[in-house]
This record gives sequence, C-alpha cells and structure tokens, in this order.
Amino acid sequence: MAFKLTEEFKARAEKVCAKYPRRDAALIPLLQELQAEAGYVAEEGMDELAAFLGLPYARVKAVVTFYTMFNREPLGKYHLQVCRNISCHMAGAPGLLNRLREKLGIEEGETTRDGMFTLSAVECLGACGAAPVMQVNEEYFEKLDEAKLDALLEDLRHGRRVAGR
Amino acid sequence: MPKITIDGKTLEVAKGTSVLEAAQLLGVYIPRYCYHPKLSVSGNCRMCLVEVEKAPKLLTACSTEAADGMVVRTDSDKVKTARRDVLEFLLINHPLDCPICDQAGECGLQDYYMDYSRAKSRFAAEDKVRRQKRRVLGPHLVLDNERCILCTRCVRFCSEVTKTSELDVMERADHSYIDLKEGRSLDNNYTLNIADICPVGAWTSRDFRFKSRVWFLKKAPVACLGCATGCLAEAHHNENVIYRLLPRPNAETNTWLCDRGRMTYKAVQAGDRLAKGVIKNGLIDLEPALREAATRIDEAKAAVGVLGSPWLSVEDNAALALLAAGMKTANFCFDFKFETGIADGILVNKDPSPNAAGAARVKAVRGGLELQAFAAKVASGEIKTVLAEARAAGLIKDALKTSGARLITFATNKGDIPAGAYATLPYASYFETAGTFVNYQGFERRLEPVVAAPEGVKPFWAVVNKLGAYSGVLLRLDSADDAMRGLEKK
Repeated sequence: MAFKLTEEFKARAEKVCAKYPRRDAALIPLLQELQAEAGYVAEEGMDELAAFLGLPYARVKAVVTFYTMFNREPLGKYHLQVCRNISCHMAGAPGLLNRLREKLGIEEGETTRDGMFTLSAVECLGACGAAPVMQVNEEYFEKLDEAKLDALLEDLRHGRRVAGR
Repeated sequence: MPKITIDGKTLEVAKGTSVLEAAQLLGVYIPRYCYHPKLSVSGNCRMCLVEVEKAPKLLTACSTEAADGMVVRTDSDKVKTARRDVLEFLLINHPLDCPICDQAGECGLQDYYMDYSRAKSRFAAEDKVRRQKRRVLGPHLVLDNERCILCTRCVRFCSEVTKTSELDVMERADHSYIDLKEGRSLDNNYTLNIADICPVGAWTSRDFRFKSRVWFLKKAPVACLGCATGCLAEAHHNENVIYRLLPRPNAETNTWLCDRGRMTYKAVQAGDRLAKGVIKNGLIDLEPALREAATRIDEAKAAVGVLGSPWLSVEDNAALALLAAGMKTANFCFDFKFETGIADGILVNKDPSPNAAGAARVKAVRGGLELQAFAAKVASGEIKTVLAEARAAGLIKDALKTSGARLITFATNKGDIPAGAYATLPYASYFETAGTFVNYQGFERRLEPVVAAPEGVKPFWAVVNKLGAYSGVLLRLDSADDAMRGLEKK
C-alpha cells in the first residue's frame, strides 16, 4: 500500500512550515507529527516528507536515524521506557529491566508477539528524585520496585491505568 | 587585507581566506581529511588543528578565517600532540586491512600516521566496531564502511557538485555510517570522483579494484577525448597497460572527470581492438587490406569522397586533406558544426566529439563541402566511395544507406565499425600516438603517447600515407607534424 500524506496533514504541515524562516527547518516537528499519528515514522513517510519539504531523502533518513526518539518500526500498544541513567541505575533500574525481559520474553528494542509491549532502555527522563522511573507511553511511573512493576503490567494487560495507542 | 603570521612567516591574504589556505600560500602544509578546496568546509575531522596565539584552544585551520595580526603555529608540541591524538581516534575502529586495500599507497591514514604519529594505539583491536564491508553501490563504486572516517567529503560532493544528494550519514556516534536509500544505486555519472576524494579506502573504484598497486603506476598527462569539453586528465599506467584515468584539475576546464570519460581508456585494451584490416567481415593483414582499399579508390576515381572527423586529431585531419588533394577530388569535408556548451551543468558537453574545432582549422585553410552537402552528394550517388573514420561515417549513415555507396573506414575497435562498411583499416588510438585536439573553448591539447600500439598498428596519418602510396598519391609523411602541411594553402 503506497503511503500518502493526507491533504489534512499537508494543510497542517504548511502552517508548521510557515513558523520557520526556512521550509526545511520544519523537518523535525513534522516527523514528530507523523510519529504521533502512527506511533512510528515509516520509510514511505520519510519519502513523502522529503518530497513535501524539498529535501533529499537521505537527509530525512539521516535525521530520523540520528534521533533515538524517532521510532522506525511500529510499537506495541504500550511502550515501556525504563530509564538507565545514573540515579535510576543506582536505585535498581537494571533489576527492573531484567524483570521485564524475563516476564515479557523480549530484549530491549523488541515487541512482544501479541503486540502489547515494546521494551526500551532510555536516557534520563528528568525525574531522578523519584528513581527508578519508567515511562509508559506518555505517563510516568515513579519509585518502582518489582511488586509495583508486576501490578502495573497486570493492569496494563487489562487496559487499565494508561491509554493504549 | 589581513596580515597573518604562520610559523614565523608573514603574508597578506584576501579577506575570507582560511588559515589553511593562507598556510598553503606560504608553503606550510597542514594535514586534512574533510577539507577539500572545491567543497564546503565541514570541520569535522579535526586533523588540521593549529595553535593560534591568544586563542584558548587549538583551532581548525580549515574553518578559521585569517584575521589581521593573527599568529599561528603549526609545528608546536601542542599541535603535534593533537595530531597524534586525532589519528589515534580516527584509527580506533579502522580495520587495518591495508594489505588488501586499494587505497594503500595513496591513503591519508597511512601517510599521516607515518608523518605525524607513529604511536602505538591504546585501544584493543578486538573492541573495534565492525561494519559492512564490500558494499557494491552503483556501477562504479564499492563502499567499505569499516574503513570510513566519516569526513563527509562524499556527502558534500553529492549535494554540492552533482546536486543529487544520494548520500548522508546515518545513525549517530560510533554507530554512524555513510548510506543511501535502500535499493537505490549511486549512479550520477560523476561517482568515480568520490573514490578520488575519499581520503581513505572506504570508496574504491570497481574498475580499478585489485588491478594494481598504486606505487607501481606511472602518471602521464592526457586529455579526455570523450566529448568536446576536453578535460585534462592523467593516465596511470604500468608496463604498457593503462589502469585508470584521473582528472588533472585546472582553472579553465575541469576539476572533476565524468565516469564515462574515465572509461574511455578501456577501448585501448578492449578485446575487440583491431590489429588487422577488415574486408567485409573477414580479418586480413594490413597490407592486402590497404591494397584492396586502394583498388576500390582507383575504381571510383573522382567519385571518391573524403570525410574528415571530429574524433581525429588536427594532424590526422590534415593528412586526410592532403590525401583528398592528391586524389584531385573536390568531394571532401572537414565541417562539423555541433552545438557546444556544457549539457549537464558540470562537464559533459552537448558536442560528443572531441575535435570539431580542430577539424575546423583544416576547413579554414582547405575549404571543402559542408557536412550536409557532402551527405547529399553521397545520397545522390555522386560520391560512390567514401573514405571516413568510423564514428564520422556514423554522421552520414543515412546517406550511405540510401545510396549504398562503398565505405572505406578507419577504426581502432571492431565495435566502432559501421554496419555495411566495405573495408576497415586499423589505426593507433590517441593513448598510443601523438596528436593535437582543440576543445570547445579553443584550448589546444597536445597528446603524447602513453603506451605502445599493438604490433602492426600504425598512427592514422601513417595509414593514410600508405593508402595514398598504394593508390598512386605520394604524400611523403614521416611524422604527424609532416601532415601539418595539410594546413598550408593548396
């Protein structure tokens, strides 16, 4: 199925472009828009966006691959992002990550077969005071331990606590 | 204008000159990887770090503008240490496969390591980042991502020179590598320049790969005869074999060389190279071929037409003019009017022949028919036998087809022989014999032989001389310069 930017998206994108002195400066905000729609930036999306902004495809791809927060593959319903920076690390993040790996049977960067969970280790989430922290989609879960984590996973499986994407 | 002092030498430079360029003017060499005089400044390789008085840190010479009163040191201990450290960083992940790398001998990493470092690496070889090797990207290039130092010269070349922007740096930090769109091929007719400007062995030419070690190659100045642009080039050869053509950058015509132009040398060593004459489709020794051709010319007498060629040198066209005069035929033509000018905005000319301007010199003296008139005479049957170089014969192929006139042609390669040619005589290519060409701007290119012609193959003027002798026209040509008599008034 050929990917096409919708007319509605293009209209929105024109407004974003208008905010900047140069059209190509809107690349990152528009990539974020694309990601907000589908949860990831598809290869065809990069192609379309490149044409829309008058940029070479390679430039768009370079930007997408440079920033780790652009996902290049579809994510699960819940994106579990465990902080791995120093405060969380000292407060037990490696244990949480291990527990998630075991329970979900996936490695970092992978998605469970049922499409429920994607596991990632991420850099500082800016909530060191409440370490260890995990972000699920747009929500923060703080001062986690294994019991809290198990309960959270159970809730997520039943569609409670966080809106799935 | 700012006055700058580099290593104790003072120079006044134009505003906007970088420290690196100023140093070059003073004869001080500053090592560099990412800097290239014809590309934008990137400043990423850090190899050109120099010490500038009153600056707290070392500065990159390529991206620092020379300012009035600036005092620069390129030979201080601080600079030397920096160069050693930069090299150590650049070599952390380098595979060190020099023994099987084509770049060895002309590699920036090898050269600078010997010049500025010679230090032992403190990084463990087993920790090196592995990347994809031997990626065939396009018809002319192979990319080895392990050898790459990410100077981005290739990226900038594609975005600034060819403006095709195929390449970019993907990913980040020690994951980064040069790549282009999946499934796309790097094919913009200038790709081999990327192999030239790549300071390491990351981009190598598929044509040149594993053919020769660069230190065995001798360099001879030549000009590209691929089109009327007539780019200056350099033939790299050894033991009578040409291995590659590289550009000889100059202000007038070219910095680069197109892929098609670089491949023109292949015809010299091609399997279909003619060393003998051809009558119809059969190979035959040169002497009987000449005799046969001469017989046919005698038969036709005044109905012989002599067509010069924009693919032949001035001297060889002049030799043809002498032959036409000796045969007392009025049917000759040295008039090739092609539209000239750069067709692709870089180098490729609208005129595909290298010497229309040179042939025009013969026409200016000798006159003769216009190409249209010549073709019309062939088509009407007034000219019954045509003497023409193979590619020039292609220009009148419709007329030849209509009238069925007999074509006696001269060719270097079998593939060039036009269909229906009666006799073909071989001649030496311009890598094997001297000749003068005039490009579309009017610049004269004097070519000297680079390699020897195959045994028995003679320069064009010598073949014409012999053909004349067999048909009773004594031209008495002993050299290409003798043929220049053809440029004297009749």
